[in-house]
Amino acid sequence: MGGMDDLYREQILEHHRRPHNQGTLTAPSVSLEGRNPNCGDVINLQLQLDEAGIITDVAFMGRGCAISQAGTSLITDELRGKSAAEILALTSPFVMELLGVEVGPTRIHCALLGLETAQKAIASLSSK
Amino acid sequence: MGAWHNADGTLDPVKVRAEYPIFKTQPGGRPLHYLDSAATAQRPQRVVDAVSKFLFTANANPHRGAYTLAQMATDGYEAARARIATYLNVPANELVMLGSATEALNLVARSWGKANLRRGDVVLVTEAEHHANLIPWQQITREMDADLEFIPVDDVTGEILWDRLDTLMKLKPKMVAIAHVSNVLGSIAPLKEIAAAAHAVGALVTVDGCQAVANMPVSIPDTGADFYAFSAHKMGGLYAGGGLWARADLLDAMAPIEHGGDMIHSVRLRDADFTTGTQRFEAGTPDASGAVALAAACDLLDEFGREQIHAHEALMIERVIRELPEALPDARILGPRDLQKRAGVVAFSSELIHAHDLAEILDRRGVAIRAGFHCAQPLHEQLELSSSARVSVAPYTTHEDLDALFVGLREARKVFEG
Repeated sequence: MGGMDDLYREQILEHHRRPHNQGTLTAPSVSLEGRNPNCGDVINLQLQLDEAGIITDVAFMGRGCAISQAGTSLITDELRGKSAAEILALTSPFVMELLGVEVGPTRIHCALLGLETAQKAIASLSSK
Repeated sequence: MGAWHNADGTLDPVKVRAEYPIFKTQPGGRPLHYLDSAATAQRPQRVVDAVSKFLFTANANPHRGAYTLAQMATDGYEAARARIATYLNVPANELVMLGSATEALNLVARSWGKANLRRGDVVLVTEAEHHANLIPWQQITREMDADLEFIPVDDVTGEILWDRLDTLMKLKPKMVAIAHVSNVLGSIAPLKEIAAAAHAVGALVTVDGCQAVANMPVSIPDTGADFYAFSAHKMGGLYAGGGLWARADLLDAMAPIEHGGDMIHSVRLRDADFTTGTQRFEAGTPDASGAVALAAACDLLDEFGREQIHAHEALMIERVIRELPEALPDARILGPRDLQKRAGVVAFSSELIHAHDLAEILDRRGVAIRAGFHCAQPLHEQLELSSSARVSVAPYTTHEDLDALFVGLREARKVFEG
């Protein structure tokens, strides 16, 4: 079990095995592919926003390392009900808290893939 | 045999390790099991000693000064070039010393390509190429309106399908650019046959030798290559170093792509004449210390014996391939199963454990492997892999290193199977 390991604790492995919000939306406001060029982690993230700019639904499909997939699963749980501005204001420590572990410099891009993709997706909406 | 061998003449990696000070350190407080030599080799003591000696006793700007010390620097640099040339069995006046193998491959693509490629001409590469032997050809074929075509790989094993060459040669390529040893598949390219097929239709052959020159005997004239690029740091030299061998007539016909000091015959305000030979491609002050380092690395590799290095590495690779399925049952090994066709590296993927997670867990046991695309993203896309894990070996790789690898693999499996 994950007991030997700080990083691969059960919560992370559980999100990796059975990611939350996995799938696709029927009418997303925005879809964006996020990639980690070095490791090949990839997610396709979809968001649905209402007229007030509040996230009403989220879904993603992805493949990659446990940290990237668990990080995305955890962050997607947090997005519903938040405004675009609130999501843009989220930073790395927020994700670290969700993961429950401080991720080292070699894996930080994996951990932040979900958040950064969500932020880029929202930024692309507002620039339209 | 020398100080590095067993009584039966085989290489003794434990004796070899004594020459590599890094193994006396404990990165992160753990003994180091370095299985990433295909990315960069560890540095021998004598390489660094040779650099110190050169810089402390013969340091001046080569090819310039009129004083004794400057001549010593020039002699040191040119002697190093000659030593490296001997290692590869080529004449020193055909060996261009550059900053990296990447620079060498870019030089061929940009200089030879610019002068020789026309609209509709074909450059042929494999789907498995390292980005350094792919992107320069993408760029120059786009610029010259030429076509880039591919020798395919098997979708499952990744093996390069050399039997397609006959058909592909009907495209009458102008250049065939391939790795001597694939940095992911570990496969040794049948260069002689490829060169014969290429030359028969008038194509030249560029070989990326990065994963071959430190791992097996390489005599460039026997490969049939017209251009051969290699990297110093994968041989135990310094980081910034590499070279390009090219046939003298091809070198003479090529225009330099970098211009400046040390490559000119005479300069006027509005134009300049360039020197002949290799120096034309070495604008600016050369990295003489890097050349001296690489020459020392060549000495050491020859003392180990390149047949012996190859045999030792084959033994290590054979064990990895044999034991991997038991340690990680869903491991998909990339590249040929026939050990005769392999050198130096073995890459694999697992649905259970992503390569990055594996590398992270192995790191806790001091086992250093490579995870990701290994600068060969198109190959991984072809195999529908989001990454692979790569183990690469060297003269200093021991069974203890592999023991640690397999203990770590089993641990990782336990974590992920839950």
